[in-house]
Amino acid sequence: MKGQYNHLIARRLQELGVDSHLMPPSTPLAKIEAMGADALVMGGGPQSVRSLDGLAQELREASNLMRETKLPMLCICVTHQLMATTFGGMTNLARKPEFGPVEISVEDEDAILEGLKPSFTAWESHNDEVIAVPPNFNVLAGSDNCAIQAMRHERRNVFGVQFHPEVSHTPKGVDVFKNFLGIIREQS
Amino acid sequence: MAVQGFHPSSFLTVETARLEKTISTGKAIAAVSGGVDSTVAALVAKKALGDRLVPVFIDTGFLRAGEPEDVKSCLADPAIGLKVRLVRAGGRFLEATRGETGAEEKRKRFRETFYQVLAEEARKDGCDYVVQGTIAPDWIETQGGIKTQHNVLEQVGIDPVSSFGFKIIEPLSDLYKDQVRILGRHLNMPSDMSRRQPFPGPGLLVRCIGSVSRTKLNLLKHATKIVEEKLGPFNYEQYFPAVIENRFAKNPEFKDLKDIAGEALGLPASETQVDVFENRVTGVKGDDRIYGRLAGIKIKEDSRETFGWLPDKLRQAQVSIVERSPEVTRVAVMVKERRGAPALSVTIRAVSTRDFMTAAVASVPWKILKDAAESILKTGDASRIYYDITPKPPATIEFE
Repeated sequence: MKGQYNHLIARRLQELGVDSHLMPPSTPLAKIEAMGADALVMGGGPQSVRSLDGLAQELREASNLMRETKLPMLCICVTHQLMATTFGGMTNLARKPEFGPVEISVEDEDAILEGLKPSFTAWESHNDEVIAVPPNFNVLAGSDNCAIQAMRHERRNVFGVQFHPEVSHTPKGVDVFKNFLGIIREQS
Repeated sequence: MAVQGFHPSSFLTVETARLEKTISTGKAIAAVSGGVDSTVAALVAKKALGDRLVPVFIDTGFLRAGEPEDVKSCLADPAIGLKVRLVRAGGRFLEATRGETGAEEKRKRFRETFYQVLAEEARKDGCDYVVQGTIAPDWIETQGGIKTQHNVLEQVGIDPVSSFGFKIIEPLSDLYKDQVRILGRHLNMPSDMSRRQPFPGPGLLVRCIGSVSRTKLNLLKHATKIVEEKLGPFNYEQYFPAVIENRFAKNPEFKDLKDIAGEALGLPASETQVDVFENRVTGVKGDDRIYGRLAGIKIKEDSRETFGWLPDKLRQAQVSIVERSPEVTRVAVMVKERRGAPALSVTIRAVSTRDFMTAAVASVPWKILKDAAESILKTGDASRIYYDITPKPPATIEFE
């Protein structure tokens, strides 16, 4: 994805001792599996994903990848929105866009937000937001201006977050990655 | 802060071996600005090439007062050992950028002139290679279309060989600022140098918002000296002023911004004023570059002092204005004004940031801002002094 912060995702994971690789969403799933990947983290980008028709090439590929893979997934910002759209939820223009620091209220720590109750500060940069989660997904956190800041699938280890855990101005962002790595370890 | 996962010694081993293999017995020229990135890049290259590395310093004319001489003597210090050749090209750069108001066009003209001058120097010494200190955020921002960094060519499809006649080597292109500083310390760079305040390649050109002129440039040089002196002791990662002309946009959609600001600040609209500047400034919203506007909040004098101590209210005003107007990417608050002085504003910016990818507004004590503002107004060359209260995003750290 073309997001500014995607290099930071790879960097944060490397700092946590993960062998992480930054790859475009056009990468075939077979190749990702052949590399022995344990999980997929998808980052942000400048595009809009309000409808599955007319998605930019890169996002169509990312959407297909999400549907095909059985790997644990953590989707950030625009791919969090894309995940909602792909699995039958809804994304729309945010009533109030968020840029810079935002207070995230944790409703449900369900694994990915463990230890982050009651709230934490995160950095945001989005014009669109998820307005309805897909069937079988639960909302984990929200903010004053955006009700769905984090969601997860009821059974699968598939997570989406609107905020940016990878930037240094989200001080507890590293906990989100640590929690995600913990979930993967437990599963395998 | 210790960064796990980056090992300067193994980085050096790999990188010097790569440089030796690529350049073999050839020569390379290094464009050094005295900043951390270009100095560390030159030091890495020197480790591999020894005397076959020719360091030059290009005086673009957009540098701070006394900077070329200071940098030259600093780099000659035995601890660093770079004997740079000073190339004076201020006139050429001013000529190349004169009359241009667009931030991107200014940056591109600067880049063009920069590489022309560098190519001439490279030819003089028979160098086929140019070593430069491009780091990860430089090409990420250029590729992402956020802003054109002057030291990014190949990543945006410009072939340096056919355009300028040399090949480019970027030993630090995968590193972030904090990693470059660690590498600098590992190379025995004096700590005041490895911690040196970052300064953009195009220098004061991108802090003269809109078209550049000698008047604006001179005011900016004065203001920069004052801001560095007053804010320096606080160790913010970045702090500097920019100059903008007091010409304001009259668009109807900006009219109600003063009510929005007043509401956020808890003041009657009659006590607040919001001026939206005509010249545009860069921002980044939802990963997209926005060439937007700077809005200046002016709070009535009696209350201004009080609000200086209420950063949460100012923050709310900034958020509300940016929410309301998609075109506004940046909000500043007036610190002081002087009626009757030339129609130029100075906006002071100070941020804390680890890697320059995101930034938070620094809580500079209001008294310090007031001191700096008074000193700048005393020069008699500006009428308004503002403080930028916008994080990144939605603003970028620099204005253009």
